[in-house]
Amino acid sequence: MARVDYKDMINYADDLLNKYKIFEGLDLVPLETYEGMDTRSAWDFKTPMATGYYKPYLIKGSTAIEKITIGELHYMRRAKYCALNMTASDDYDLPIYACEFDESAPRLGITIDLMPIADIAVHPEYREKYLDPLAADWRKYRTIPGFTEEGRCLLQRRYAPWNWARESLSPYSLDGRVVEPEDRYKVMDAIAAYARIWFDLLKKAEPMKDPQYKQEVLTRKKFLQKIYRDRDPGGEVIKKIFGDDKHHLFVSLIF
Amino acid sequence: MADGSKWAPYIDKMQEQLSRLAPVEILQNLTAGKTLKAYAADKLAKIAIGDCTTGDGRHIGMCTIVPLEQYWLPLFFSFWEEREKEITFLVDIIPTVDSLVDEPYRIRYFDSIQPMWVKFASLPGITPFEDDAVRALCSIVYTAAVVPVDREGMRLAALAPHTEYLKSYIDFVKDAPLADGEAKLKEIKRKIEALKTALRSYVQRQYAGAIHEDMIKVFF
Repeated sequence: MARVDYKDMINYADDLLNKYKIFEGLDLVPLETYEGMDTRSAWDFKTPMATGYYKPYLIKGSTAIEKITIGELHYMRRAKYCALNMTASDDYDLPIYACEFDESAPRLGITIDLMPIADIAVHPEYREKYLDPLAADWRKYRTIPGFTEEGRCLLQRRYAPWNWARESLSPYSLDGRVVEPEDRYKVMDAIAAYARIWFDLLKKAEPMKDPQYKQEVLTRKKFLQKIYRDRDPGGEVIKKIFGDDKHHLFVSLIF
Repeated sequence: MADGSKWAPYIDKMQEQLSRLAPVEILQNLTAGKTLKAYAADKLAKIAIGDCTTGDGRHIGMCTIVPLEQYWLPLFFSFWEEREKEITFLVDIIPTVDSLVDEPYRIRYFDSIQPMWVKFASLPGITPFEDDAVRALCSIVYTAAVVPVDREGMRLAALAPHTEYLKSYIDFVKDAPLADGEAKLKEIKRKIEALKTALRSYVQRQYAGAIHEDMIKVFF
């Protein structure tokens, strides 16, 4: 089993921005205030235990974005907790792009998804419009060793102890634990592929018109955000590093 | 089957469990190579179970249990497609509410099935169910697989999740409460209709020609 030294770990944000160029063509502007909180203390941090940044953006001139956050937290030069979150504003029903990327020497723990903010069993048209475009990439990347092992595909099991989190996943989530260095890089391809699909969906997105549907969607969205911010085990690490005061800001930017 | 082995006893094993619901038979259709039965039972709109063999060497089995919409109770779905060397299956208790938001529902029904879901993850061929539309309906504890039949014991091993989930579901039926309030009732009604439509559509897509439309209607 390969172990990866800290110095050889993936440069998550740098690769997404400069190698995969996922934001190319977008005029991103920093989001200084989010839900009444000044975000600037998260843009660049250094404590005895951690360094890094979580930086939120809007797209200039677009009313469709609530936040686009990208960031990395380097923990004691032993592990990296990285995130990319793209959330549409409350007028839009776009799924939440969520990527949690936790790399340590023995493994990469990864979850990539477009989380639906409508009940897709009741609204199959939501799945067709926003999630089915992931189908080909899901089938391609689910074969990455770690997602599939010895003929068993174990997607949707990384969050096994947290049923509330599994409830949030779409039928196309990619999640698991990936060990080999070359396979960790394949995961980066998947992260970029899902992000590109989200941006394609954003181009076609239109504000919700039906007030009852909008109410349903917002209830689900707010609930989803609340449970991740309150319960995500990564939040405990953040609390330990930054204390209760900053915890809410950081988890709100990440999810 | 060509090698002389037998199909898994899908109907027999499932019916052993179903008998615990004291079901009242409302339909029986037994013809060569085909079984179709439907029952009524307390708190349930319908129980349907059936199997058939197809000309291209498949043994298809299915069992659906649709709750009455006034109950806060999932829908049971078991799907079985057996070939000589491979079994594709799905078994689930499908939520009839938005189980992300309705956390007591998730805790009552899915958290309690979780140990079984973990146990069956070791089954050879375990994999997400291939049909995207059906996967979108499933609970967080569904079990699906494409099991290679490299020895005869595998047929019964693949059948175990179906009988185990059904056993749990039957326990849930006995304790199922009424939906709490008009809004929940409306939510359940809407979702059960959506689930039936989607599952019916899947079976029609998958087995056009192999399973008669009248048989599909009995299930959904």
